[in-house]
Amino acid sequence: MIGILAHNIYTGIGFGSRKVYGELLEGRSGLALREGVFGVPDPFFSSLFDREEIESAFASSSLKEKEPLTLLEKAMALSAADAIGSASLDASSPRTLFVISSTKGNVELLEKDPAGTSPDMHIWRSARKVASLFGNANAPVCVTNACASGIVAQICALRAIESGEYDNAVVVGADMLSRFVISGFQCLKALSPHRCRPFDAERCGLNLSEAVATLVFGRGPGIGVCLESGAIRNDATHISAPSRTAEGQLAAIESAMRGIDPRTLAFINVHGTATLYNDNMESVALHRSGLDGVPAVSLKSFFGHTLGAAGVMETVISALALLDEKVLPTFCYETCGVDFPLNMASVQRKSAGTRFLKIMSGFGGINAAALYRRNEK
Amino acid sequence: MKIVSFFSFPIPSGDAVLSEMYREKGISYPKFFKMDILSKSGFLAAEEVLGAAGLRNEEPKPDMGIVLVNSTSSSADDVAFQRGLKDEEYFPSPALFVYTLSNIVCGEIAIRNRILGETSFYIDSAPCPERMIRYVKWTFADEMIKKVLLGWVEVFEGGRNVTMMLVEKDSAEGEDFTVEYMEKIMK
Amino acid sequence: MEQLKEQLKRQIIEALNFEGMKPDDIDSSAPLFGDGLGLDSIDVLELLVLLEKNYGIKLSDPAESKRILQSIDTMADYVAAHRTK
Repeated sequence: MIGILAHNIYTGIGFGSRKVYGELLEGRSGLALREGVFGVPDPFFSSLFDREEIESAFASSSLKEKEPLTLLEKAMALSAADAIGSASLDASSPRTLFVISSTKGNVELLEKDPAGTSPDMHIWRSARKVASLFGNANAPVCVTNACASGIVAQICALRAIESGEYDNAVVVGADMLSRFVISGFQCLKALSPHRCRPFDAERCGLNLSEAVATLVFGRGPGIGVCLESGAIRNDATHISAPSRTAEGQLAAIESAMRGIDPRTLAFINVHGTATLYNDNMESVALHRSGLDGVPAVSLKSFFGHTLGAAGVMETVISALALLDEKVLPTFCYETCGVDFPLNMASVQRKSAGTRFLKIMSGFGGINAAALYRRNEK
Repeated sequence: MKIVSFFSFPIPSGDAVLSEMYREKGISYPKFFKMDILSKSGFLAAEEVLGAAGLRNEEPKPDMGIVLVNSTSSSADDVAFQRGLKDEEYFPSPALFVYTLSNIVCGEIAIRNRILGETSFYIDSAPCPERMIRYVKWTFADEMIKKVLLGWVEVFEGGRNVTMMLVEKDSAEGEDFTVEYMEKIMK
Repeated sequence: MEQLKEQLKRQIIEALNFEGMKPDDIDSSAPLFGDGLGLDSIDVLELLVLLEKNYGIKLSDPAESKRILQSIDTMADYVAAHRTK
């Protein structure tokens, strides 16, 4: 068990978890139709960073650029700096580990360097550059498990601290969009032409968005929410389609929930990308694990799918909701469109539960589940 | 923790040599030819390592995990996918895009061998035995996992090579899973 | 028409990496999915790219795509009637 000491979310709708959480409570999503962006032929629905804002925020910050940083690395540094600052953490300590979750890192650099010769292409370089801004000399851990990366990174942090190797971990989830990423999801026919509708009968695909998020973990009680357990399991059925029987997700949930009374769950923050197959697989997994009655929340119709950042950002939002005794709305959800109905609503609800479960899955047959608990008041 | 089997091979160039290895082994798995070079490399190494350990079969393996590491992620596929995005000839390939996630190789090996435990792909600056041992120890922190297929799978520019091994948590047989032994087999 | 079918077979074998397969190995009337060639969801998407790239045919309705991609025969009929290049 490790405590969340501090957190940050950085998206197009604002900087700072509280600010972003406030926008969510007001229902002010940054999702909008984007035409002609990144030079992709078809329009897409997305929440994007203001790139100039990142540059100016970095220039006016106290962070000193020792070697040239990409925009993504600057956003990571700003997010990490905010969280490290509020945790009053000595990030330069050899007992602090940086853990980075990103699916495509600086892949945008290929536009100017099509042979991929720039060392900045590689995410371990980005991770080192960011860690060194804080004087941290440890080799950061970079884990890439498709869309489940943000939870997998937190499970790494849990193990790094519980094993006694480290006292603190700074987990940064980050992905930005590009012609590469949008084109990829478009050719998979995975994108919705309008705002996505998780678990709804009318859902027809996901929205891709940008975000960077940071969680600082340690042994103390921190903000009052801790990460208790987590598990990662493979479906071993198909490299891109989720298992129809949800074997991997079911096994991950059962492992994370072992010995836990499900009545203590305030809610389950599902992956809920709003693709036909993902949402249905999650409904099967939750039904088979007997958790389909627990309030379920997808944040994708507010933020969109932020890839490597999603698991970290959605954990931060869920932790704030847990402390507030709120079950957040799943925006745009009206009519159940999955095999096993979940306890989902488009309006905000109350819950006095003390835990939440976070689940994610991704290409490569990967599934991850993590369990969080609010400290006794 | 013991290393019960290992296999190592350099990849001189292209993937013709991988197809040759596939044929020499007499494997029948048509999906092999749909894979990218990273998955083909990992797949073939896993055939050897699991074969030597008597575990190359389709029995469900909930107690086995996969930890693969390299320094360049899916760069070879990234470069190829980007080539399909030219303004004058814009035809992004869906099959190729899927492989621009490096953890797909874990999925391919898991499907072939029914490996149902924890699978993760880490990206590190170099094949560092200390850190590879750490990733395996972390995987064993999940009590379900008793065996880990560990590999360094580098297929992009520069040091293209693959080293894979099977590490067992409670085995009495095999070589000690130490930095010294790892250094020896990863040369 | 037979020439077009032969060409489609060649293009499919190349696009989907059917190692060692020849056009004659594919029965023009056999289903491409299930018991036939056993194509999966990603293969379908690759076939859509193939049609656009080589014949200028852009399919967006999944139900229509499914109908057209039933067999080499159905593909060839559609291509012959709708190709723009």
